[in-house]
Amino acid sequence: MALPARIVTLVVAFLAVAALAVFVVVHYFLFSPPTVTFGAGVTADTGATVHVVLQEDPQNTVSTHPDWVSYFIQDPTTHKWVHTTIFKVPAGSRIDVTIYGYDGCTPLRNPYFGKVTGTIGGVEYVNGKPYSQLDSWSACHVGHTFSIPGINLNVPMATPDLSATLCGVSPCTTASPHRTVTFSFNSPTATGTYFWQCRVPCGGGFIDGFGGPMQTIGFMTGNMEVVS
Amino acid sequence: MAIETQPERAQGAGGGLPAEGGGGRPWWARPAIHTAIVGAVVGYLLGHALGDYLTGATGAANQYPNVPLSDSEDWPIVLGYTLAIIGWLAGLGVFNDILRQMVGRPISGNGRAHQNSGLARFFRYELDHKVVGIQYLVGMIIYFCTAGLLAMAMRTELLSPVNHVFTSQVYIEIVGEHGTMMMMLMTSVIVGPFGNYLVPIMIGSKRVAFPRIEALSFWLTPMAFLILLSGFMLGGFPFGWTGYAPLSIQATVGADSYAVAFGLMGVSVALAGFNIIVTVICYRAPGMRWGRLPMFVWSMVSTSFLFVLAAPVLFAGMYMLIMDRTAQTAFFEDSLGGSSYLYENVFWFFGHPEVYILALPGFGIVSELIPVFCRKPLFAYKVAGAGMIGVSLLSFFVWQHHLFDSGINPDMRPLFMVTTELISIPTGFIYLVALGTFWKAKIRFRVPMLFCIAMYFNFLIGGISGVYLSDVPADTTEHGSFFVMAHFHYTIMGGLIFAFMAGIYYWLPKMTGIKLNEKLGLWHFWIMFIAFNSTFLPLFAVGDAGQPRRVFEYATNLQGLNDWVSISSYFLGFSILLFVINFVWSTVIVREREVGNPWQSRGLEWQVSSPPPADNFDQIPVVLSSPYDYGVKDAQPVADLHPPAGVVTAAIMSADAARVEA
Repeated sequence: MALPARIVTLVVAFLAVAALAVFVVVHYFLFSPPTVTFGAGVTADTGATVHVVLQEDPQNTVSTHPDWVSYFIQDPTTHKWVHTTIFKVPAGSRIDVTIYGYDGCTPLRNPYFGKVTGTIGGVEYVNGKPYSQLDSWSACHVGHTFSIPGINLNVPMATPDLSATLCGVSPCTTASPHRTVTFSFNSPTATGTYFWQCRVPCGGGFIDGFGGPMQTIGFMTGNMEVVS
Repeated sequence: MAIETQPERAQGAGGGLPAEGGGGRPWWARPAIHTAIVGAVVGYLLGHALGDYLTGATGAANQYPNVPLSDSEDWPIVLGYTLAIIGWLAGLGVFNDILRQMVGRPISGNGRAHQNSGLARFFRYELDHKVVGIQYLVGMIIYFCTAGLLAMAMRTELLSPVNHVFTSQVYIEIVGEHGTMMMMLMTSVIVGPFGNYLVPIMIGSKRVAFPRIEALSFWLTPMAFLILLSGFMLGGFPFGWTGYAPLSIQATVGADSYAVAFGLMGVSVALAGFNIIVTVICYRAPGMRWGRLPMFVWSMVSTSFLFVLAAPVLFAGMYMLIMDRTAQTAFFEDSLGGSSYLYENVFWFFGHPEVYILALPGFGIVSELIPVFCRKPLFAYKVAGAGMIGVSLLSFFVWQHHLFDSGINPDMRPLFMVTTELISIPTGFIYLVALGTFWKAKIRFRVPMLFCIAMYFNFLIGGISGVYLSDVPADTTEHGSFFVMAHFHYTIMGGLIFAFMAGIYYWLPKMTGIKLNEKLGLWHFWIMFIAFNSTFLPLFAVGDAGQPRRVFEYATNLQGLNDWVSISSYFLGFSILLFVINFVWSTVIVREREVGNPWQSRGLEWQVSSPPPADNFDQIPVVLSSPYDYGVKDAQPVADLHPPAGVVTAAIMSADAARVEA
């Protein structure tokens, strides 16, 4: 093969490999569920209040895993529910959180996770009533938790009554049986990504409940990005 | 006494089979990589459709129950992969001769390698061990570079403990892909290219024992590579390269790619090892006594025994894992009556010999090369051989040191601690041999020799840190940390990959008749050596400070060291890029011919032209002396390449007679 032909072959092969690499990086490495930004106009480290709204559903009918339990986040601008678990808040702010709990109860394996930690006042409000701990055993009041280990935040999610017929189409609407949990915490002054998760092994169909939605961002685990 | 069991008429590179006719078909209709790709795609689609049918996804009447312990897509994906492999092999023409023989038709001569020439033969199922060696070489470089890029992606993520490039999920996928790709595909990084290419020539044979099996062993590796990479499209696998149950059972469908690809590589290496063992036992030339066998061949034989004994256990483990994920068996699931310990034992019964599968070929290369550049006989030849055999044997008695912290019976710990510490003794033999050979030598510091010396340096650090980890209290402290990670990178990358590079610079002129640029080689060596140590030495400290493996966040006080490591890793990556540029520049653009014996080696492989002729030797040579008699007064030539007529036949008859008497 002549030199020009060898060089052309090399260049073509290189471009093909480079294109493939770029495709993989863009589509698989850098792919993640969308990020919902809260407090877009808020200046960081001023203690300003930002309102974050989520819901946890017994299923999701918007993904390839319809039987997986999942969180949704409400976009503050459009008020539409987004199937993601990544949200952005300003640093050094007061974060008021509202979570609509549509899923049924699961007895906690460790009652410790029924305790509220890391919130302002050390309490959460369930339908407006303050609690510092939810009993997951005698009354089966806990479905999931919203926990950010990096700031020691743990909030158990209250569930609808045991007899209620749970919402079947996601995102659920307030017409379905639910309980509303509200709480507040201060976002850290240090910017960065803070991992959050549900501590209830709620991966139905997976061994011991650990797996599937429990390990997948966009379902029961996600990131809180704290920005300046 | 050398044993040559095969008469010369059977010693053609294609095993005395007829030359390929091609049947007058156009190139696109002849079996090659493009037909293999078509076969794989068709096979995958068929398999996936079959899986959908069995699981009822298409609404078929035959409602095979979905498996509640895993994703319902497992069946279609596993069946898709399985039929894709069969389609790939069918497209390559692997089954053509077998089917022809089954129906009583003459074989087509497909793949009668050495009669073919040109670039196209490297994209076909060829039976010439030299073609297979080159195929392996290019394949291994591609696999290594891919896995290396994944490593650099990991180090990019670890630049900051709080600001992230990837999500935690993508990070663990990258970790898993990097680790598995390196550990499963690099298993063949030396046996594949150098073992297949050089062993027959080094023992004076015109061919390998089982050319079809050898070629098959290579052509399984691209499928293993592609299947493993396809895991990214399926969400990856979140459990690193070890695939511990029950994590691997409950993981989503990406885990199917892990199990199928790893199992497939198990088949590949077992086949490769089987071929090399039989080749060395049965195809040595007259005079090639066991005591004259080149050290590299000893390392290939000992590695091959590990291949054939350990890899089937891996395959069985992966098979059981796939069954747990699809057919709802419970081999490894405790809550259903299985045992996750069973998986750990099965995996590490392969996994620890695997570590020595990676180390022994490196020992073989450096032991082979240092006499050439020291111009002295190899010191204590028998000790070197004993070291390799000792490592091979002991490697099957240490696997439970990976389970020290798993909750195993505590009484087992001292036993496996002692056996693990014992293995440092035969490993020490290799260093003793090197020291004796270096002693008072006038060393030629050429690029291959520099890589050899670096290998001894790196492996020493890896080995000493390994002794600490074999100690139960120390292991309990360091387990799961970057300390362990630094240790095994020093042994595997610092040992195996440096030796691999030494082998490439040393033998590429033999394999291609083209030499690599020496100046670029020197730049490559020094940057790689410094960057390698700058990358992995600090990780001992990072691990000692408590940073766990496989976690994308870490304590902020460790950011400085992590940033140092990440930046060093970019230099390490640059050195590999320099090598790739040198490789492509020298072999594709410049093509400076080197047909002689540039290292003045006594190795039998260097006594024939470069690249070797189609049949390796005009006649079966008669080996006369050791390949390491450098500087020995009145040393005989290593072999008579044109022995008088009848000598080889007489040697065979003599061996047969001796066998009958015995």
